[in-house]
Amino acid sequence: MLGSARLRPCKAQPKASPQSASLRSLTLAALALPGLVALPAYAADEDSVDFQYSHYQEGKRDVYGLIYNVDTQLNSVAKLPNHLKPIEVDSLHGSAKITLTDRAKLQVNYTQDTWSGATPVSTAPITIGGNRPQYKDVNPNSINHILTGASPLVGDLQGLYFDQNLNPLQLAGYDPDTGQAVVIPASKKNNDKLVHTMGTASPETRKQIDFKYSYEWDEAGVDAGAGLSVEKDYKSRFLNLAGHLDFNQKLTTLNFGFNYANSDTSAKLDPDSLQFYSTDNYDNSYYDFVEIDADGNDVWKILPKKPLVSAGEVETTYDLKTLQKTSAKLLGNRQDWSAQLGVTQILNKDALVEFNMGYTRSAGYLGNPYKLVTLISINPSTAELSSNEVLPIYGSAMTLLEIRPDERNQFNWNLGYKQYINTFNAALHLDYRYSHDDWGIKAHTIQADWTQPLGASWTVTPHLRYYSQSSADFYLPYIKTVQVYDADTSEAVASPLNRAMPKYYSSDQRLSGFGTLSGGLIVNKQFNKGVSLETGLEYYTHKGSLKLGGGGEADFADYDYWTANIALKVDLDKIASLGHSDVAYSALDSRHDHSEHSHHASHAPAGVMFDHVLSNAGDFMVGYRYVRNKQAGGMLHGNNSVNDNTVRLAGCGGKECAVTPDDMTMNMHMLDLMYAPTDWLTLMVMPQWVDMEMNMTPLTVAQTTGHNHGGAVHSHQTGGLGDTGVYGIFKLIDQPTSHLNLSLGVTAPTGDVDVMLRKTNTVPKGTLIHYGMQHGSGTWDLNPSLTYTEESNKFSWGAQVTGTKRLEKRNKSNYALGDIFQSSIWGGYQWANWLTSTVRGVYTSQGSIHGAYPPLISESTGLPLGTQHVGPVDQPKNYGGQFLDVGLGLNLGTIAGSQLSAEWLQPVKTDFNGYQLKRKGSLAVNWNIAF
Amino acid sequence: MKYNKQALIVLLMALGINLSGCTHVEPWQRGNLAKPHMALDPNPMQSTLRNHTYSSREAASSGSSASGGGCGCY
Repeated sequence: MLGSARLRPCKAQPKASPQSASLRSLTLAALALPGLVALPAYAADEDSVDFQYSHYQEGKRDVYGLIYNVDTQLNSVAKLPNHLKPIEVDSLHGSAKITLTDRAKLQVNYTQDTWSGATPVSTAPITIGGNRPQYKDVNPNSINHILTGASPLVGDLQGLYFDQNLNPLQLAGYDPDTGQAVVIPASKKNNDKLVHTMGTASPETRKQIDFKYSYEWDEAGVDAGAGLSVEKDYKSRFLNLAGHLDFNQKLTTLNFGFNYANSDTSAKLDPDSLQFYSTDNYDNSYYDFVEIDADGNDVWKILPKKPLVSAGEVETTYDLKTLQKTSAKLLGNRQDWSAQLGVTQILNKDALVEFNMGYTRSAGYLGNPYKLVTLISINPSTAELSSNEVLPIYGSAMTLLEIRPDERNQFNWNLGYKQYINTFNAALHLDYRYSHDDWGIKAHTIQADWTQPLGASWTVTPHLRYYSQSSADFYLPYIKTVQVYDADTSEAVASPLNRAMPKYYSSDQRLSGFGTLSGGLIVNKQFNKGVSLETGLEYYTHKGSLKLGGGGEADFADYDYWTANIALKVDLDKIASLGHSDVAYSALDSRHDHSEHSHHASHAPAGVMFDHVLSNAGDFMVGYRYVRNKQAGGMLHGNNSVNDNTVRLAGCGGKECAVTPDDMTMNMHMLDLMYAPTDWLTLMVMPQWVDMEMNMTPLTVAQTTGHNHGGAVHSHQTGGLGDTGVYGIFKLIDQPTSHLNLSLGVTAPTGDVDVMLRKTNTVPKGTLIHYGMQHGSGTWDLNPSLTYTEESNKFSWGAQVTGTKRLEKRNKSNYALGDIFQSSIWGGYQWANWLTSTVRGVYTSQGSIHGAYPPLISESTGLPLGTQHVGPVDQPKNYGGQFLDVGLGLNLGTIAGSQLSAEWLQPVKTDFNGYQLKRKGSLAVNWNIAF
Repeated sequence: MKYNKQALIVLLMALGINLSGCTHVEPWQRGNLAKPHMALDPNPMQSTLRNHTYSSREAASSGSSASGGGCGCY
């Protein structure tokens, strides 16, 4: 906060000649010093727009299981083939800071993360069989199995044998004569090795938007902010207030802050494993026997009950015929309050120190709804214990939802020290943080950053971080309870062996004792025109053995990850100031019409690309495009509405459809970067990010005939980096009022086409998600387009033909999207300098998908399992069609030198290939700034 | 109380540095302090991103649990 103030260029800067850029920046820095000029020391950053993309990739974890050895007739520990994709997260971040008045600023941030992959669900001794080896039979009668993978099991586990000291033993088999368990002695290693059972998740997307309003006085300032974070299973709203006061000629600054968050969990528990673990502690209902009806069937009813836990509850639906759970949802609410107080002190002309303390109180459901705990209940009878000491003791296994305390009080202490190193013109930042809470977690963090400016506006920052935490009091990799019963009366007896069930328990490795070591590099390049690029790379390793003072969790919980990111920052103030000086210095040369030319470009509707080129060699443009597309409201076959029953019988190419889509939403975020190497050519690079959500309803005879969507709606989400376009736009005609542009480009297949849905009981390997929800085309595509624009007085019009030709026959998932042809014609009227409205007609034709996903192969038989999925959206024939749309748009003139436009495309005519969801229209928003 | 003792040590260290190391720095002597890399957080986007990841992987880094960031429950 303090530092950012110093970056702020002084508004009343003297005009410096272009040659003395370094001198000018030094002067700027000096002028912005706290206390030197009457400048608010804590003013927010310059007006700017930032974009950042980052990727998180976890390393693959080792999965261990027991393999039966035919020769020794014993199980042995082995590493199993792991087909599970580790966790991956794609994050997109955009923010804008704008000046409202001299002292007031507004900042808006938008963040979206999509994650998917495998994560630990529970932990247990290896002998319990949490990872069952999968084999492929070469010959079903032979014993030469080929190990192909591991199937994770969270329930239905075999029990476990223990010795007299309750060390786990490995079961070798049963004595054929006595029927007694034969075990491998505890002295053999690996009996007590712990393993994770991993669960996989289909992609899920979180979106967060937050605002911050800042107001500055000469020696004080306040920030007030609010935000919302939404994901399928978690919604969080938050408020914050922060402020600062400067003292002592701004050598000392006092900071304070308050935050409040209110968050709801609404987590759908995996229906496949519901039968295998207990949610008893959280259940808010149960079923009870009522009577035997006239036909002799049992009648059951569902009754409410109070959950045993104090926070969180599980809402379950049952099939009262089979008494099976059909679905369950964990509901919970938490509130977090935090307060911070800190002081920043300038020590000398090269060093400053900051000290902050914080307190956070959390209350409510603080658990992780997807983490389970293995419970082993040991019931040794007194008789067994006394009479035969060599008999192994049996413990039965079950799996439970974790229970955490419903309150947490956490304290943080931070000490930061910044030292300027004159010799290298570098800055050393050292930070230490100590944190402790009433869960028993004590953590130390130490971090060092070295920021080294190099020549030509390059800066590199290597950083190193070490973190260590002790485990929470209630963390247990798994629970062993012992209750000794009297053999005759079957009643519990007091015994020194007794171990009660703990009140709170969690096997989440985040609550275990461990240490982490991470390091990385940030590289920043500042370009002259107010644009800077930044990229960062970090590697992180989590190990039980890295815990400070030892005693961390064993190595089964170790993992690592790396993150990479790239960011673009646009300094609007600097662009504005450069723009003005250009005009001032070269009023007579051709640059004068630069702004008018850009202005001219604003006449095309927001949904049109390639109409806009840069005027002069050396010009840049940075833009952002957003497109939202929605389909909903029933199915069409060609251009005719069809009911669910027709879809069920005819929508899936000869097979019966099991689901039909209810709605699908797609969002595209695109960066529009342009540079003109010569006057007649503009180069354009367009990376894009996509996210989609589709809701589906099961189709059964009963439901479709009754037209009643009674089944459980399920939804699929996905998102991440899409395809990247690279284009060259040539000016064929460049007259003052008429322009003809030819654009040639390719899109590179940077978007994934192998996004999978999670594994289920029916599809143990997971399936590829619907074609329309993959992130890209997977093929190199050619994109030519021809655009003509003309204007006369307040009227303007234009026309465009554009197409997409797939340059490859198949992508790596064995299909190719259809080619696209599109033509548009539009007209605009300029109502005022800053406002133009547009009308557009668009015709689009797209072919259906060629090829298809490879068929699923059964792991055990090696034979095809039939086609993937079960809905019309999984049929290649049900893609593409011919469409007519009418667009209505508004273009807003220059806001701080930039342009903003929006267009709504309303479908007028639709003729789909096959069976598809009705089109609801699409919204395009376009912002750009040229400089 | 162990916590309080540790906290006290940290606090005294902070105060110690503040009081002993303090010299008067005139406004025109603050050129080095004003450099971008001497900012309290020279790379705010990077640190936001990193802290978000840390807080979803570590128990004690969620000092921001009251300021958004989502569940991180995987």
